[in-house]
Amino acid sequence: MARVALEGIGKVYPNGYRAVTDVNLAIEDGEFLVFVGPSGCGKTTVLRMVAGLEGISEGELWIGDAVVNQIEPRKRDIAMVFQNYALYPHMSVFDNIAFPLRNQRVRKAEVRERVMQTARVLGLEDMLKRRPATLSGGQRQRVAMGRAMVREPAVFLMDEPLSNLDAKLRVQMRAEISQLHQELGVTTIYVTHDQVEAMTMGTRIAVMRKGLLQQVGTPQMLYTHPCNLFVATFMGAPAMNLLTGRFEERDGEFVCLVGEQVMVLPPSLLGERPALRSYLGREVAVGIRPEQLRDPRVADPSDPVLSGRITLVEDLGAERLIHIAVPAKPVLTDDVLEVARDIDASSVEHLNVEATEHSVTVISRREVRGSIAPGELIEVALSTEGLQFFDLNGGATIVGAEPADRPLGVAAADGSQA
Amino acid sequence: MTPFSYTKRTFLREVILILVAAVFCIPLYIVLVMSLKTNQQISTTPLSFPLHPQFSNYREAWNGTADLTIYRALINTAIITVGSVVLLVICGSLCAYVLARRVSKLSTGLYLLFVTSIVLPVQLGVVPIYVEMRNTGLAGSYPGMILLYTGLFMPLSVFLYAGFMRTLPATYEEAAQIDGAGLRRTFVRVVFPLLGPVTATVAVLAGVFIWNEFFMSLIFLSGTHKAMITVAIYGFVGEYASQWNYIMAAVVISIIPILAFYVFAQKQLVRGFTGGIRG
Repeated sequence: MARVALEGIGKVYPNGYRAVTDVNLAIEDGEFLVFVGPSGCGKTTVLRMVAGLEGISEGELWIGDAVVNQIEPRKRDIAMVFQNYALYPHMSVFDNIAFPLRNQRVRKAEVRERVMQTARVLGLEDMLKRRPATLSGGQRQRVAMGRAMVREPAVFLMDEPLSNLDAKLRVQMRAEISQLHQELGVTTIYVTHDQVEAMTMGTRIAVMRKGLLQQVGTPQMLYTHPCNLFVATFMGAPAMNLLTGRFEERDGEFVCLVGEQVMVLPPSLLGERPALRSYLGREVAVGIRPEQLRDPRVADPSDPVLSGRITLVEDLGAERLIHIAVPAKPVLTDDVLEVARDIDASSVEHLNVEATEHSVTVISRREVRGSIAPGELIEVALSTEGLQFFDLNGGATIVGAEPADRPLGVAAADGSQA
Repeated sequence: MTPFSYTKRTFLREVILILVAAVFCIPLYIVLVMSLKTNQQISTTPLSFPLHPQFSNYREAWNGTADLTIYRALINTAIITVGSVVLLVICGSLCAYVLARRVSKLSTGLYLLFVTSIVLPVQLGVVPIYVEMRNTGLAGSYPGMILLYTGLFMPLSVFLYAGFMRTLPATYEEAAQIDGAGLRRTFVRVVFPLLGPVTATVAVLAGVFIWNEFFMSLIFLSGTHKAMITVAIYGFVGEYASQWNYIMAAVVISIIPILAFYVFAQKQLVRGFTGGIRG
């Protein structure tokens, strides 16, 4: 077990392409750190640099108390689970799991014992003689885990290990991996581009974008206090609702105009985030999580209210998602578009349609109560402590008294902003 | 999926394919038929079915000519063929591994050199090769012939191995590296087993060719006791008369081992040609 520290890590490929820039991050002993971000954000490159499969162009990588930049992968005391598992197809399950031990010239009897023990933990005892090709996806996943575990390495590296499984199995394996981590307590670095995986598995999450670390923190912190628009939109499902709003002062009250609707902001909000005052007369991105869009009947009467037309109601049994079209301008900054593009090209189109129709679909997540139908007008209360405001220029979260141009990722890394 | 139905078209296709297959069988038929006739029958009725099969032809053929028995020639051929194939597989796979995985200008250049040599006619180099092999004492020896054939087939071997290697995901090697295997162990335990299909392809292509090779064998080995099967058969071709019945019988004998090997390796061979790996 070991602490892993990345100090100013960067990767520039021989053709000049810069994949990763200045990543500073310490992964504590026993921690489960998840790197998350859209495709091409450099998260896998970081993992491969930690593994030693990719050379490190800049910075220092520490595993335990040694700089390992120049150390071969096999001497770094790490184990890795690959996206496609990379089980050796010509070896039986037993031989696959035994391979790392045999490479270390462990005695035969001990190899047998340790493989059997690993197989017991993972429930693979009955298939030790089979070839990987005859196993199901979940079983292969377990064999890959077994091959990583059997060596008792200092660090586990996992590169999107669940992305080849179907949705139900993914949920199950997610829980199994978390469970294993709790039992073994081995420092784990996990790469995924599924933010749900990141939220549910990580003790801390590192969000990356375009080779830059955006924010590092606990799942809760990233969810409630994203440092910028990118982190805010990327984390959370359904995604954070975003509307373009405009701050104005009317009759001595601080208000936010969303389309034609006026939301009066309570003075307490300004007290907490004085920097908002400097945005008077300017447009900002207003972000609010679906569960913070409440039924006005149960909300605080002082909460500002928005109204719109219901376009869709999704009943999920325990909760209900109400899609509401609010006349307003959508937020179309680079970060939002990038996240949309990462989902699907059609999501970008959807945003563009919203822009021309001057109507934004927001989602309210609430208890199932009474019946409502699409087409009806509805009012939602915005709980003010859940409200986030982002600078449209650069996307930084507007907090505190400082101007919003603080360097990305750095201030947030220690979690002190919360 | 629609269930398979046996239509007229299918029937027609089958008939055509059977006819094509029959055409391919004609040479084999001629060889077999001729090997069971007397030399006189061959000149009068070469293609008819032998009514009185002369099995003694096989005994005569087996004894070979005065210089060389067929048995001896088969052993020679087997030694040279197996030796060359083993060397080809080892050198070809190692060489291609480096050329395919270490991407650099040098490796691209070397690879192109290998590929170019596939199309160069080797006969152009026979005289200098002969002189050099005679000077080094390699001419007329097993190691000399093994080296010669290995050299002849290295380009094709490297080409096939490198092509296959490029379709092989690098993750297997990366996994082996992380699992603590060094370069040699990674190759021996992980990469080489994955190359099975292409190893079979190289072995069969080179094996069949070397087994049947005549030109080099004639130049470098004729007149020695190490001559290969083709040269031994050629011994039945006389200046004034050829004993076609013995020749054909010897041909049948010489085909048997290589045919057996081909049948044995066929399954692997097809996978090698079509490429890809399941895992």
